Amino acid sequence: MEPILQAKGVTKIYTTGGIQTPALQGVDLTIQKGEFTAIAGPSGSGKSTLLHLLGGLDRPTAGETWLGDRRTDQLDAVALAHVRLWEIGFVFQAYNLIPVLTALENAAFVLELQGRPRREREAKAMAALEALDMAAYAHRRPNQLSGGQQQRVAIARALAAEPQVILADEPTANLDSQTGRALIELMKRLNQEQGVTFVFSTHDPRLLEHVTRIVRLEDGRVVRDERGPGA
Amino acid sequence: MWRLAWRNLWRQKARSLVTASAVALVVLSTLLFFGLAEAMKNGMFQVLTERAGHLVVTRAGADEAREFDAHLIREAARVEAALREVAGEGELAVLLEVPVLASGGSRSRGIQLVGLRQTPGLERQFAQDYLSAGRLPDPDSLDEIVLGEALARALRVDVGEVVYIFAPGTEGLGAGAYTLVGLLDFPEAALEGRTAYVSLAAAQELAAPEAATRFQLHLPDLHRITDEDRLEQVRDRLAQPLGPELHVKTWREAEPGLATLLDLVDPIMLVFNGLGFVLAGLLVVNTVYLSLAERIREFGVIIALGADRWRVMRMVISESLVLVLTGTAVGTALGLGLIARLAQGFRFPNALTEYTVEFGIPAVMYAGLTTGQLVITILFAVGTALAAALWPAWVAGRLQPVEAMRHVT
Repeated sequence: MEPILQAKGVTKIYTTGGIQTPALQGVDLTIQKGEFTAIAGPSGSGKSTLLHLLGGLDRPTAGETWLGDRRTDQLDAVALAHVRLWEIGFVFQAYNLIPVLTALENAAFVLELQGRPRREREAKAMAALEALDMAAYAHRRPNQLSGGQQQRVAIARALAAEPQVILADEPTANLDSQTGRALIELMKRLNQEQGVTFVFSTHDPRLLEHVTRIVRLEDGRVVRDERGPGA
Repeated sequence: MWRLAWRNLWRQKARSLVTASAVALVVLSTLLFFGLAEAMKNGMFQVLTERAGHLVVTRAGADEAREFDAHLIREAARVEAALREVAGEGELAVLLEVPVLASGGSRSRGIQLVGLRQTPGLERQFAQDYLSAGRLPDPDSLDEIVLGEALARALRVDVGEVVYIFAPGTEGLGAGAYTLVGLLDFPEAALEGRTAYVSLAAAQELAAPEAATRFQLHLPDLHRITDEDRLEQVRDRLAQPLGPELHVKTWREAEPGLATLLDLVDPIMLVFNGLGFVLAGLLVVNTVYLSLAERIREFGVIIALGADRWRVMRMVISESLVLVLTGTAVGTALGLGLIARLAQGFRFPNALTEYTVEFGIPAVMYAGLTTGQLVITILFAVGTALAAALWPAWVAGRLQPVEAMRHVT
């Protein structure tokens, strides 16, 4: 087993208008390479916060976060951006595609940030779109795609850069039942065939049926860590 | 990055078009102002040097001396020969300027009498520019004179009548009677009221045989104020054969006040045009900042995906540059086209021309633009784009990804 993401005693407290709201309280969690893990729990339990901290989008108030053998909570903003750029892929609930770019350009966006040559990034982005059955829509802009298609492009964007791990924040929350199920199967296939590590924050039971591990959060604490039905 | 910037600007077509148009207008007006200022400078240079020459030879120290004989260059023929040898194809005017009393019978006035001998080309130009009635004195005539119209009116004399000139204390005859053969119409009323011309020979006979007070050298193909390097080379070549008793001055040294005035045109234009760019810059700041404010979430996503703050700042700056450079390209194309048209020659409306001529600006002017002025305009535009983007870029570079992605516009 090879740990890829770790949270050690992570606490996150948000302060708004002088009022402190604890989002996470002393969370310990280790994600192994190749896992298909869901962080589940009711709204406000701290799922998204934990995902953000693991992905270097935010810093814990206390505790440590690790990516492989590197401690990430102490990195400066530029170094943390570098980690996100080269080693972590993100998929967001609202897809968050760039509206003025086509599906192909969106899928290639992270590769462009990495400074890869145009030919390479277009080839990799197209390969990612093909893997997600989206090649036919490569030259459409987000407003010409359905929600499910946009989320596939978002996954292609995360996948194209070949990150060690993809963190997906409620990826099926905005999708209808059929589209959500198709997307889950797609991610499961990528996990099994390409060994991509997925960590989801979700409370979608359809997704929970397929994961290999479920970490349940309540009130900012891990209350259960169990093998999922997909294991 | 540039493609993304271009497309982002097109999201708000109307706003971007208005801003780019404002930039284009400022660039166009800047180029136009530069072009007109250049026309004015070259026009004044042309008028001044047509009348006073590109290079002027006087006796050393004459500017400070009050006595008439301190101005005299005694061996005028030798100096003239030396000038002709060095000047080559240039045209030469030899002047003897004498303070005299002019009398028209019942009235008299203290004036400057100019004995003038000039090469045929200069004489033709002089007659064409200033002669309003009659003709110029014959070069060999000893008894013909022309007066400024205002002076003729003051003396109450007309063409064909006699004018008496008194030059007491000089080395010639000291007095003479001259037939008025022509009238001169100078743009400057003051000059017209105190100037009379006779042949050089007549003036020498009256006041200083074989002497002159001034040589004016007109060099060929020297029409632009920017050609001054060539002038200074000729001046330096002339200085040695003429010796230390004579002083060779460029028009700039001969007319320091006007030279300073012309030198001020460019800095004033720079300040004036700079203000235009400041105003355009405020519009660009507004556009770029609004564009940022509307896309905070998007910037949050871009940062989350791995763009560091410098990359994000470059993205904002690139949008500002694309916006401003688009306007600059349009403004430059229009400006260059307009200046090319005005370079064929233009004149202000007649009512305005009367005043501009009074200030030594020719009625017909030719717009021009130097490479330096074009480069300065483009640098102004690039500077505006960078300055306008600094604050929005700074804001964008400090966005925190999680907060930015939660931002509600």
